[in-house]
Amino acid sequence: MTAYLCLMIVIRLFNAWLFVYFLTTHQVVCINNINFQRKSVIGYVELTIFPTVVNLNRIKLNSKQCRIYRVRVNDLEAPFIYNDPTLEVCHHESKQRNLNYFSSAYTAAVSAVDPDAGNGELSIKVPSELWKQGDEMKVLKVYIEFSLDQPKGGLHFVVPDVEGSMAERGAHVFSFGNQNSTRFWFPCVDSYSELCTWKLEFTVDASMVAVSCGDLVETVYTHDMRKKTFHYMLPIPTAAPNISLAVGPFEILVDPYMHEVTHFCLPQLLPLLKHTMSYLHEIFEFYEEILTCRYPYSCFKTVYVDESYVQVSSYASMSIFSTNHLHSGMIIDQTPLSRRFLAQALAQQFFGCFISRMSWSDEWVLKGISGYIYGLYLKKTFGVNEYRHWIKEELDKIVQYELKMGGVLLHPTFSGGKEKDNPTPHLFFSIKHPHTLSWEYYKMFQCKAHLVMRLIENRISMEFMLQVFNKLLSLASTASSQKYQSHMWSQMLVSTSGFLKSISNVSGKDIGPLIKQWVDQSSVVKFFGSFAFNRKRNVLELEIRQDYTSSGTQKYVGPIKVTVQELDGSFNHTLQIEENSLKHDIPCHSKSRRNKKKKIPLMNGEEVDMDLSAMDADSPLLWIRIDPDMSILRKVEFEQADFMWQYQLRYERDVVAQEEAISALEKFPTPASRLALTDILEQDQCFYKVRMQACFCLAKIANSMVSTWTGPPAMKSLFTRMFCCKSCPNIVKTNNFINFQSYFLQKTMPVAMALLRDVQNLCPKEVLHFILDLIKYNDNRKNKFSDNYYRAELIDALTNSLTPAININNEVRTVDNLNADVRLILEEITRFLNMEKLLPSYRNAITVSCLRAIRVLQRNGHIPSDPILFKSYAQYGHFVDVRIAALEAVVDYTRVDRSSVELQWLLDLVQNDPVHYIKHKILSMLAKNPPFTKAAESSLCNEALVDQLWKLMNSGTSHDWRLRCDAVNLYYALFGLTRPSCLPLPELGLVLNLKEKKAVLNPTLKSDPDPEPEEEKHVVIEPALSCVVMAPQGLKRKAETLLGSSPEPGQIMQEEPCAKITVKTKEEEDIDMETVHDSQAFIYHHLNMLERPSTPGKEPSSVEQAILSMPGTPMPLLSKESMSSKHGDHHNHHHHHHHEHKKKKKKHKHKHKHKHKHESKDRDSHAFSTSPASGRSIRSPSLSD
Amino acid sequence: MADPAVMGSGSLNTGNRSTSSKTSTSPSENYQLARRRTLQVVISSLLTECGFESAEKAAVETLTEMMQSYISEVGRCARANCEHTARSTPTLSDVVITLVEMGFNVDTLPAYAKRSQRMVITAPPVTNASMVPKALMTGQKRTHPPHIPSHFPEFPDPHTYIKTPTFREPVSDYQVVREKAASQRRDVERALTRFMAKTGETQSLFKDDITAFPLIAARPNSIPYLSALLPSELELQMLEETDSSEQDDQTDTENNTNNMIQDDQGADKENAVLPPGGGVPAGKPSEENMIDNPYLRPVKKPKVRRKK
Repeated sequence: MTAYLCLMIVIRLFNAWLFVYFLTTHQVVCINNINFQRKSVIGYVELTIFPTVVNLNRIKLNSKQCRIYRVRVNDLEAPFIYNDPTLEVCHHESKQRNLNYFSSAYTAAVSAVDPDAGNGELSIKVPSELWKQGDEMKVLKVYIEFSLDQPKGGLHFVVPDVEGSMAERGAHVFSFGNQNSTRFWFPCVDSYSELCTWKLEFTVDASMVAVSCGDLVETVYTHDMRKKTFHYMLPIPTAAPNISLAVGPFEILVDPYMHEVTHFCLPQLLPLLKHTMSYLHEIFEFYEEILTCRYPYSCFKTVYVDESYVQVSSYASMSIFSTNHLHSGMIIDQTPLSRRFLAQALAQQFFGCFISRMSWSDEWVLKGISGYIYGLYLKKTFGVNEYRHWIKEELDKIVQYELKMGGVLLHPTFSGGKEKDNPTPHLFFSIKHPHTLSWEYYKMFQCKAHLVMRLIENRISMEFMLQVFNKLLSLASTASSQKYQSHMWSQMLVSTSGFLKSISNVSGKDIGPLIKQWVDQSSVVKFFGSFAFNRKRNVLELEIRQDYTSSGTQKYVGPIKVTVQELDGSFNHTLQIEENSLKHDIPCHSKSRRNKKKKIPLMNGEEVDMDLSAMDADSPLLWIRIDPDMSILRKVEFEQADFMWQYQLRYERDVVAQEEAISALEKFPTPASRLALTDILEQDQCFYKVRMQACFCLAKIANSMVSTWTGPPAMKSLFTRMFCCKSCPNIVKTNNFINFQSYFLQKTMPVAMALLRDVQNLCPKEVLHFILDLIKYNDNRKNKFSDNYYRAELIDALTNSLTPAININNEVRTVDNLNADVRLILEEITRFLNMEKLLPSYRNAITVSCLRAIRVLQRNGHIPSDPILFKSYAQYGHFVDVRIAALEAVVDYTRVDRSSVELQWLLDLVQNDPVHYIKHKILSMLAKNPPFTKAAESSLCNEALVDQLWKLMNSGTSHDWRLRCDAVNLYYALFGLTRPSCLPLPELGLVLNLKEKKAVLNPTLKSDPDPEPEEEKHVVIEPALSCVVMAPQGLKRKAETLLGSSPEPGQIMQEEPCAKITVKTKEEEDIDMETVHDSQAFIYHHLNMLERPSTPGKEPSSVEQAILSMPGTPMPLLSKESMSSKHGDHHNHHHHHHHEHKKKKKKHKHKHKHKHKHESKDRDSHAFSTSPASGRSIRSPSLSD
Repeated sequence: MADPAVMGSGSLNTGNRSTSSKTSTSPSENYQLARRRTLQVVISSLLTECGFESAEKAAVETLTEMMQSYISEVGRCARANCEHTARSTPTLSDVVITLVEMGFNVDTLPAYAKRSQRMVITAPPVTNASMVPKALMTGQKRTHPPHIPSHFPEFPDPHTYIKTPTFREPVSDYQVVREKAASQRRDVERALTRFMAKTGETQSLFKDDITAFPLIAARPNSIPYLSALLPSELELQMLEETDSSEQDDQTDTENNTNNMIQDDQGADKENAVLPPGGGVPAGKPSEENMIDNPYLRPVKKPKVRRKK
């Protein structure tokens, strides 16, 4: 076996595989041994592949971190090469530290193994005996034996450290990953567009259950009767990324309503599982009914695992959830959340698992549809109010993100060879691959996708929408039952164009403009509205302006709905937003009238009495709403008088309007606003989330009105009336949470009240003691439901009441000088936290709140700032919510106290913690609350940190796509796009600002950071050759144009270069691997670039001359043609010529931006393509024969 | 009263009961001794009547024994007669019939009873008060309503079936009760956590005074999700009190798991002979309700055929 290990050599890969050379029809995955003690897995796969070109001599598969023992093709031993450029993105010796450089190199690395482009980490040479067979297009069987030892990605082992057998300990293992991550645990074609049927076999301990995709055909004991083999068949063509596995001593629950649905949870949790699953059948029924389509798979499995990677992940016929969703019937708050997760998982079963996508740029269709039908489920289960509230929330989220970070593009197109085609130049990462996306961007992407689906629904009606879905599903299910025929199975893949075609076929409507606006284009619309009423003409003059210049915004042209509530009723008007028309005249239907007492009809037909005394006597307008149906992805800032907002809050029945009115009223701290908010609070027909929002608004208003406020603190008397005893108003009633709406209100009000401040900007004593009394008299004995979340929120309320301590002479905080009120608060927190050790609450919600409270106490200077407590709670072995709360406190401490020890501790945890979710959270919390930013000087920012972070994203996180992007995110938050300023001055450079056509000093030398680094293109000119270092891009595109390829399968063109180059490669290998270790260096030769290390701080000698900052090691000046050609594979080779050709031109127009960019791109792509990724360069004996 | 079954002659001897309350022996033993003594007195007087001056103790004992046996037999038979006629209390006629059956001439009895030389034995003093321990009298017993004859047993004490009056009016002021409950709970919690903090490892928020706000040290748990997700026993108890429907659910679950376990066991025994899916043994009562789920099916034995 070890002899075969030597075969794992590293060579450069062909980069321009443009076609898919074969199709997989069936794959067998067999895992014979799972060792929990050693955390290792042994197994084999067998792929049945169907060549689509004659003379298939190389098969490329995806495989990461697997150790491959042998490969056989049709029972013949086949040599293979294993090279993973994503292991180390930029080569070691490189001193480049700017994110632009990294991003492009990373994108190129991911492209180089992208199965959709026919690439892969594992390259198998088909034995020459079989080449003939290829001519006849016969199937090949590729058999690969592999093992995994302590996998860091793909599979996650949870092995609790207690006594007993593995089953007794609750040890389990499950697959996970972000997008295409199946390659982490077995070799496959890891693409969403490559479908095949599956046979899966897992041999596990007799006390364990292996849950996987498809139907469990049988379970057979091994001969020694100590193990069982689970045989699964998945006859429905499925993409490899949709295959998963979970093994553990699971408790099994067959769904009492649907016997083909089975639920699995860890030992002892069965009662919780039973309760949590009691409504799954309703979700099934709902989806099947609206889609008029049966659930596509013959069975469904839900598995609840500990230390899950994400909350929900869906795979073919099974979903893996976090075990923390399980809850008993006593828990209120978790119930809707768990149901939502189930509904999401199930929606993705239809769209995402059963129907897969053609390419990454079609992802939005799947995410959009699954998110959209999930929304329909929300509407049906939780009501229209909840649904509209959710839509508003999602819309606000995406608008906020895009305005802050720049646009989110749903359907990026990467055609053409120009570098201008980067569709999202504002982003610091590439959106070309799912693996290069920041996690937050991806979340926003999903959010936008379903909102756009809703826009399409608005346009073509829900009926047609569902018909389209049904059509997609029925085509797919017809295709799925067919035997392998390449063209049939493609019906199971959705593409943007196919989806749009379906829409136009079904509805007969042209939604082209809509798609162009929201799908092919990023950004949202920002409206500003104001109006004037013209009494003479009885006309409403509405002005709608747009901001389409700031980042993340676009111009909107088209219809917009405006709803005007007048005295005589509510009227909808559709206005056309055009290029130059800002003003719109809307005729009013009613004359102003004050004295007539008449009911006012609302939009929904209801007629209400209103007190019209607050109105403007001359105007019949009650309120105006712009785009009330949220049919544009927009932010509206509308100006209307405070009384109009108040009317809108009180009488408009749409929750979105009410919420908009509440946020608008924050700016009008008047008694009238107070009254309107109080009335809403008291109205129990009003949607509870609106009432909750009103609480916080009321607190803000009260604070603004503090000098004129009369009566008891806001909400106090209201709370007393609603929740306290009649006989003794200072004591709260014993808990009874049977009415959930008042439960949520009861939880929220104290939290909002604690935000009240008196004239000294302190929380009023009355409020504080009121909250302390609530805690004191809290009595849950007669309650059917748990009060853990209520108690947690009471602690949050105490936290909210805290204000910064008055610190005289910077004295050290001691027990003695503790403020009396703070002492009371601290006592409560201590008691709560200690009680949690004895009687833990559900999800340790109280511990979480206590930790947050302690951090706020520290930050406000009441108690000494100290991270030790948090660090102990952040240890592995605490409940995940507690750990995250503790880590958040440490992150905050790191920022406030600028502690390098803590920062180091956090980064160590990122590298060593067993839980992937925790690693992800640490990085994203650090990015959200960075210890320093580019703008500010900080002692933390030093070279060692830069190197550490660089290493983390360069090679330390290669096992987890998400984590790597998190690291990139953090790097961006700390240093921005350019070279970190704390690094020793780079070997000086003069920078040409091509945009402004002027030369400036290298911005890294400037003390003040560049405000918009992504806008300006800094080009460092290399003295002699004027070669340019620029943001590089993927190489592949280039290659395409060079080879002049049009992607037609079966084209023979491939052969020639292939054949020639293989000969060359054999020779090249020697030189390449033995003499030139630094790929970077080799690229520089290749590009005839000259590098000169120079001393830091050296002045630029002249304007024309600038010295390039490049790797510190001096490079030999070898730039001979022969040298470079030796190193290239055919692809590099071509490039080289291309480059030479270009260079001639360059001499004349070296300032031309495009050209420069081209060159630099090429160069950097080479950088990656030639990097011996695994760090080992062993020659393959099998290749040199 | 005491134990007529053992004595056999309880009904006859009730009158002869004597007590020696001074002795420290148990009441039933006392009773037996007293009766025996009375019988000895009777024998002695009969002997005197017959003209004996003295008698040996053994003789008296024998005669006493005979006498006792005779009376016991009369009692037993009388009772048998009475029960034969479906009554529970023997009457005079029962005794007469018994005596007749035992060959005793009843007609001679009145004359014998009225003989001149007979000796009168004083009845032993009866101290009934000390026999029945005085029950705790609380409240007024109810008198019989007119339709119940007075000889029927009295009503029991009202507290046993109506209510138990307590001696003090409870504090019914809601505010005070809540106040008390709250402070009680708080005191208990504080004492408990302080105790735990004192006996175990602690963490502190202040560096100058470690004892000020002691926090029980956070200890990692190897399976943290169990304690975080499962309701505590206290909560479960409350749940049982408030909701019984949940319980039904849980028993359902148990049934399910039982089924599964049975299946597994069945599987071990009668494995691969059965076709796949037909793993339900014929004898199972719940055959129709059986859920056909692949995960509940028996595990097959490995095929041996291939090896041959």
